[in-house]
Amino acid sequence: MATTQSTNSEEAPITPKKSSMLLDPNEYNKSDNAANSHQRNDSSYSRNFSLIDMYGEEAASSPTGPDSNDHGSTSDEQLDYQMLQSLDEFSFGEISTDHNVSQQTITQIRDTPTPQPPQHDEDDDDEDRLEIRQQYVIPTSMGNETKILNSPFDRYGFRKSSTHHGFTLEEYNDWFKEYSEYSYRRKKKWELLMKSHGLPIQEDDPVPTRFPPKSDKVKKMIRKGIPPEWRGNAWFFYAGGYDKLNRNAGVYHQIVENTKNIHNKDTEVIERDLHRTFPDNIYFNESIDANGNTLTVPLHSKETPLIKSLRRVLIAFAHYQPQIGYCQSLNFLAGLLLLFMEEERAFWMLVILTERIIPKVHSADLEGVHTDQGVLMLCVKEYIPQLWSILGTTFEGERLSDDQILSKLPPVTLVTSSWFMSLFVGIMPTETTLRIWDILWCEGSKTVFRFSLTILKLCLDNPEFDGAKHSPGGEADQIELFQFVQNFPKKILDCSNLVDLCFKKIGGYGFGSLSQDEINKCREFVSKQREMMNYKRRLSTKMTSEERYTLMNSSDGQLDGNNDIHDVYGFHRPIMGGVVWNRSISNKMKKTFAKRNSSRSST
Amino acid sequence: MSSRKKTLLKVIILGDSGVGKTSLMQQFVNNKFSHQYKATIGADFLTKEIIIDNNKPVTLQIWDTAGQERFQSLGVAFYRGADCCVLCFDVTNEKSLNNLTSWKDEFLVQSNVSNPQDFPFIIIGNKIDVDDSKKIPSLQKKLHNITHNQLGGLNYPVFETSAKDSINVEAAFEVIAKMALQQEELNAASGGDVNDDYNDAINIHLDGESSGCGC
Repeated sequence: MATTQSTNSEEAPITPKKSSMLLDPNEYNKSDNAANSHQRNDSSYSRNFSLIDMYGEEAASSPTGPDSNDHGSTSDEQLDYQMLQSLDEFSFGEISTDHNVSQQTITQIRDTPTPQPPQHDEDDDDEDRLEIRQQYVIPTSMGNETKILNSPFDRYGFRKSSTHHGFTLEEYNDWFKEYSEYSYRRKKKWELLMKSHGLPIQEDDPVPTRFPPKSDKVKKMIRKGIPPEWRGNAWFFYAGGYDKLNRNAGVYHQIVENTKNIHNKDTEVIERDLHRTFPDNIYFNESIDANGNTLTVPLHSKETPLIKSLRRVLIAFAHYQPQIGYCQSLNFLAGLLLLFMEEERAFWMLVILTERIIPKVHSADLEGVHTDQGVLMLCVKEYIPQLWSILGTTFEGERLSDDQILSKLPPVTLVTSSWFMSLFVGIMPTETTLRIWDILWCEGSKTVFRFSLTILKLCLDNPEFDGAKHSPGGEADQIELFQFVQNFPKKILDCSNLVDLCFKKIGGYGFGSLSQDEINKCREFVSKQREMMNYKRRLSTKMTSEERYTLMNSSDGQLDGNNDIHDVYGFHRPIMGGVVWNRSISNKMKKTFAKRNSSRSST
Repeated sequence: MSSRKKTLLKVIILGDSGVGKTSLMQQFVNNKFSHQYKATIGADFLTKEIIIDNNKPVTLQIWDTAGQERFQSLGVAFYRGADCCVLCFDVTNEKSLNNLTSWKDEFLVQSNVSNPQDFPFIIIGNKIDVDDSKKIPSLQKKLHNITHNQLGGLNYPVFETSAKDSINVEAAFEVIAKMALQQEELNAASGGDVNDDYNDAINIHLDGESSGCGC
């Protein structure tokens, strides 16, 4: 407790009780302006600089140092607010108006043998969002682990294995036997950590709402995995959710109210996506029973509570962020959030994500996706040069020169784009995705880059990748590579190993050295270059398509060629300052470089 | 290396979100249907080897794409080198039918094909298993208007399919493969004269077949 408050007092001055929603009036105004200007920028598409501004924003609002974090969210007033929240959500049987309901919830949490199909006892029209939320995640406990082992579904209600997965049910269970013991041990460690910060776990309220402030120790703990049933609260806490929520009290419910009966282009696509978000999850698919059988009820005849929540969150979000509207893949993000937290929080987490962590990735022109793929490719070239020598080509197998990388992104970016848009949901096994999310909410967007690089490096190191490796160039090889990178992540069940590989400097790839600062700089560079290229393109599109066509054919793509050229990003200068290379790794890298250079000069 | 290569035919499936592009591909390649397909983000592809015509083995590389408009800015590079483009709509969703022209235009702009005038397209109306009451009213007439409008330019073979019940899917892809092979040979002959006769032949052949399925 003492730690929490002492660190906070400097940054978040205690304000009089009355303004309990605000931490600091000045800060409130500042961020309010930022939010407004953000919207203004985006609503006028011709002005393309908003992305650059936003990349500054993540740096400002989620610094990477352990001591300068935004844990202003734990001031006294906020704690009060949090406790109120926690009472609303998690104190079963105490303030519940309906004793039976709360009893039922307790039994579900403590003893659920297998995930139960959602209860439909609430009437559809009576959508009181203050009702006690069903706990969807089966808590870590010795008893539950064996029950999950025997169930066709995992801890989160997802089918453990199907033809869409990259592993069999047996493989899943083999992994889970070991991993559940690990989870159990980690939970005990978390309980100790909480206790040492004066936040002991209460018997009657086993899911904490407050967490220790970010520190090296906490970062390490998070990288090793947050206890599954705590995840929703922990993500919300570390992402600055309380801050966001407090500044926007009541806003979500107002939007939901205002958008209740609207129909537009976005709602149309949302409706179509609701049932194909998590069709293999019992909380999103009413036609699966607890034994894993698909019932032959008429399709989508009865909606689960989470489908309804998903609809409200996505529609409200499209309304709140008109420059994004609805973009496919937001359904996966919102869907996963909803398994862990109630919908108002899930909504604000989506806002935090799209405003701060991966800005413009879901916007109408997907500009953020293009930018981030450019950044990722520059990183691949810098950190995994051997892989770049294979994938750094166009679809036709033509090699990309340094000043073409951003204009002609390699084919593999079609695969990695979806990693950024859905933040690995559906790309990797559920627990693996969740472990990355644990880190993402605490450490920010660099996490997506670090893990993307780790996966790509794993591909390269995989013996089955050999086929593609030995014959670089040519369209067929690009296709092979594309397919390999597409399918490979589905098999990464061993999430602890993935995290270790990502961060460990010895015995791992050490991508932890890729700093947020570097990512921000690189994003800024790429987005400026793209702006220039787009400007040139717009000039050329003023010609009719026939003019362009003849010009391109006659001058052998000269027009295209002009657009291709952009500045070359210098990684070395900025990055070497921030990197603490382990000596053995740097020697290894030097050798690889030398080898690569000599082999290149010989060819 | 190239001597060992089989004929590879690249097919792109386009159409509005939710018309069943993934289902069609899965039904053709893996002979299965599931209600459990997730929305496609980015692009995906599957390959299948088939034998067409006179015992010629070919490999179809079928690209499944995301239907939401904004994804077009991502997935344009792989349009290049396509040998056939499948334009899909949902027989219960009139908007998806009306959007076929824009999908075709978008494809031609991005793929940069050498013969935009007679590049092989095929139209698939999916979900014919759905109850008649939910289908687009006077679908045949509307379809006819779109496909027989010489100015609008969508006079391509039409197949009405059900990826769910596996109706007409195989037949559609067989024609797709034939058309793609023709295009591929055309490209291999370094963009020589276009063979109009062949396309006409396909048209005639298919008109009979698609009306024969009586939907």
